[in-house]
Amino acid sequence: MQVTVRHLAAACAALFAVAIGSQAADAQALDRILKDKKIRITAEVTSPPFGILDKDNKPTGSEVETARQLAKDLGVELELVQVTGPQRIPALLSDRADLAISSLSITTDRAKTVWFSSPHGALSIVIGGGKNVNIKSAADLAGKKIGMTRATLEEQVVPKVAPPGTNIVFFDEHSATQQALLSGQVDAIGGAAFLLNELGKRNPDKGIETKFTVVTAFYGIAVKPGNFDLLQWVNTWVFVNKQNGVLAKIYKEHTGVDLVDLPNL
Amino acid sequence: MTYVFQFGIVFDQLPLLLEGALLTIRLAATAMVFGLAVAVMCAYLRTSGPKPVRVLVAAYVEGIRNTPFLVQLYIIYFSLPALGIRFEANQAAVVAMVVSFGAYATEIVRAGVQSVPVGQVEVGLALGLKRFQIYRLIVLFPALKVVFPALASQFILLLLGSSVVSAISANELTAVANSLQSTTFRAFEVYIVATVMYLTIAVAFRGFFAALYWIVFVRGRER
Repeated sequence: MQVTVRHLAAACAALFAVAIGSQAADAQALDRILKDKKIRITAEVTSPPFGILDKDNKPTGSEVETARQLAKDLGVELELVQVTGPQRIPALLSDRADLAISSLSITTDRAKTVWFSSPHGALSIVIGGGKNVNIKSAADLAGKKIGMTRATLEEQVVPKVAPPGTNIVFFDEHSATQQALLSGQVDAIGGAAFLLNELGKRNPDKGIETKFTVVTAFYGIAVKPGNFDLLQWVNTWVFVNKQNGVLAKIYKEHTGVDLVDLPNL
Repeated sequence: MTYVFQFGIVFDQLPLLLEGALLTIRLAATAMVFGLAVAVMCAYLRTSGPKPVRVLVAAYVEGIRNTPFLVQLYIIYFSLPALGIRFEANQAAVVAMVVSFGAYATEIVRAGVQSVPVGQVEVGLALGLKRFQIYRLIVLFPALKVVFPALASQFILLLLGSSVVSAISANELTAVANSLQSTTFRAFEVYIVATVMYLTIAVAFRGFFAALYWIVFVRGRER
């Protein structure tokens, strides 16, 4: 067979059409979900209180309930795709899930591989301690003994804001860190806001209160890059449910603390 | 296996690890000195003390030897503050190690004491020495000589057991290694270096004990 320029041009055109076609198919993610009447959303069940298994081994937690609410409002069936922490983004990219709602903090690094919606949730790292300990800001940490758990977000962020002269001590487990605060071995501890709230509720006699917020990480809903239509709908959904208080209600119900004001992306 | 070792990250932090190792040595050495003092006293009380004291010492020895070290550590660090007794993490670690080593060493020293021939004690009595003088002047030296290797082994166990005190935020070698591991994520490299450090310390102490034995019990005898 003689290969002519015309043949080549035709082949190129065909390839181009295929490429455009697949591109177009991706941009129709919302249509496909509505047609299939089913949306697949990641569920990470090992990060309480955001995602856990209840006593009947069913996924629940604030992120999972957010996913349920979203599917309900979209009017389609929900299929939870169980993932571990490191699988949250790969599950999206490999098309095993349409959305990732699994306590994914919005970071510029992650935004290189997935697209984020406006934040729907948050995780605050706070310093907490007894009422009699005078800490109002990071500057007051000087000369105090602050406990925290190794390999956590607080271990990364608290030392950065602590002034020289802060005595930071590390424990291997959350339980040991909390016990150190309860027994007065440390003046205050760093940790997730909901954990300190829980600790204070279980030990009312200790007068444990949140002193100040060190950093707040915002959780967003992630889609595979290219899914404009789905992302647009998700953003609208986040906006509406922020306004009507549904997101705040789900968050409070599962974490026990109030949802902070959510900025827009 | 395609794991690529990257020791560079760990060696950058070597001063921290060495500081941790130094604290490990200090904790263990302090605990050994005071623990041995406890053991020498308790071994005497357990063999020659009045009956109630003997029972008390036996209760201490068995109570400590039959409960986990970590739990003893938690009681000293987390529970005693409720009674108004507050130790810093490193102090709590030393106290727990003294209490624990003391109990094990008491049994070892007691075995040594009982291995001393009765005749020697009777000589002491015939010379009109008091019971504690007999213990101090006649019994103790040969008793310690007999059990010295066992004591040295127990001390190495104490040294290695000190890795547990990272649980109460004492900043010894294992604690430093844990912290490094959680920031660099090079678990393999960090713990290999820590292992080599423990091994070096343990072997060095064995050498020290061999020398000590020779100086105190062999050369001392020749004079």
